[in-house]
Amino acid sequence: MSKITEVKQLVEAGKSKKIGAAVQEALDAGGQPVEILQAMVDSMSVVGDKFSAGEIFVPEMLIAAKAMSKGVDVLRPLMAGDNAASLGTCVIGTVAGDLHDIGKNLVSMMIESAGFTMVDLGVDVPAEKFVAAARENDNVTLIACSGLLTTTMPALKEAVATIKASGLAGCKVIVGGAPVTSEFAAEIGADGYAADAGSAAVKAKELVK
Amino acid sequence: MNQRENFFAMIEGKKPEFIPNSMEVYKTCVMATSIIDSPFQGGLDAYGVNWIATKEGSIPEPNKFMFNDITDWKDHVKFPNVDTLGIEEAAKMELADVKRDEMVINVFSACGLFERMAAFMGFENTLCSLVEDPDASREFFEAFADFRIDCHNRIIDAYQPDVITYFDDLATANGLFMSPKVYREVIKPAHQRIAEAVTSRGVIFSQHTCGKCEEIVGDYVEMGAKIWHSAQISNDLEGIMDRYKGKLIIEGGWDSSGPVSYIGASIEDLIEEAKRCVRVYGPKGNYIFMPVLMNENGNSLLVGDPRLEPMLKAFNEINKL
Repeated sequence: MSKITEVKQLVEAGKSKKIGAAVQEALDAGGQPVEILQAMVDSMSVVGDKFSAGEIFVPEMLIAAKAMSKGVDVLRPLMAGDNAASLGTCVIGTVAGDLHDIGKNLVSMMIESAGFTMVDLGVDVPAEKFVAAARENDNVTLIACSGLLTTTMPALKEAVATIKASGLAGCKVIVGGAPVTSEFAAEIGADGYAADAGSAAVKAKELVK
Repeated sequence: MNQRENFFAMIEGKKPEFIPNSMEVYKTCVMATSIIDSPFQGGLDAYGVNWIATKEGSIPEPNKFMFNDITDWKDHVKFPNVDTLGIEEAAKMELADVKRDEMVINVFSACGLFERMAAFMGFENTLCSLVEDPDASREFFEAFADFRIDCHNRIIDAYQPDVITYFDDLATANGLFMSPKVYREVIKPAHQRIAEAVTSRGVIFSQHTCGKCEEIVGDYVEMGAKIWHSAQISNDLEGIMDRYKGKLIIEGGWDSSGPVSYIGASIEDLIEEAKRCVRVYGPKGNYIFMPVLMNENGNSLLVGDPRLEPMLKAFNEINKL
């Protein structure tokens, strides 16, 4: 088995204690950082698909994301300034009036694993703050807005309207959360919708390509 | 039959006269659990976790964890002294003027095993712990179950309740947070002890779980739950009602994530949803109607709503069995 294949398998299995050494061994064997990173991105894509299909559950997805993060830590010093594999920056947050963060955090991990740099604004984020963060950070290609409550769906609508009215160029908006449907997402003018964290990563990539 | 008689007819497998409605059948008691587990107005719970009040109830302060590693739980978790919690005083206040022969006394017990671990260390750490440190997780759950059983026994002594509704949200809108296997191996043994300790005192155990949790509803029945509370339509409710008829009552059925629960849903839409619940679930015989009306201020159950009265009036005109 090649070292890169081993890295892929360790990410999929969520072996965060072993991944650092495996990534280093892959580098020592002549693997390029970008190649190893792409292998891990591919693994997380498999993980996301399995999650969306109900084959694995949140803990397995979380430990895979954690393993990838540990692997990226080894690659990061070698990739400074190399943005070839980056899909840009994604600003993410839970909308105003909503303090729930688990769904947002899961989506953030999966979108990051797909190749985005994440700017996490946390919970209870006013609409204007999404716009400000998109202006303040480099190469923001995506804004992800989360809402868990039916009572904060109007805030989700306001967030999308504010972002769209701000004139931000080249920046797509994706929304999600338990009460959100693809119909509601379309109705409020979002560019994309995802039903779960796995499909959010797929949709995020699709929106910025 | 009055509300109580009708409820117990259903519990005992006899034919009730009408579909009960959770807003009218229960005297719901929340003070004890607000003191111990989940302060409804926000603030510190009995373990020292800070809660933030929201429109739909309180939640642990986001991103403020007592610890991050479940193997450290003994260094941080101090179970409160049951004698000093004030359960007896809460019972006296809540039960004043209650007509026990007309209503069903239902004491809520919020923040169960999984939610409690998440209150201490956040959802992500908790979910990872279940698969990375199952032994430490089990040890925590067993210790917490011991304390919870002590609390329930004091609650039973003080309130003499008919029902204890134990809350643990183990599922998302799409499915269980964890696999059924992980639930059964890591959480269920302690969960089962909690349920059996309640039923062994002759009190009905009602299990609250939101989301799509149908894969473990059979486990709830097996451990003695008589009611599944807040049963949402993402589950195959009709199939579950057929499968567990005589063993389990479904309390829920309202489309709590759909348009009828959006702010501004019309009275006509709410009445239509009530009719759908009556038509689809009522004839099964093991169903308690549980409407969820949301408005700008939160859940109508807590904050009121002018649409409630006409909706309930319409429900009560068609709820005969």
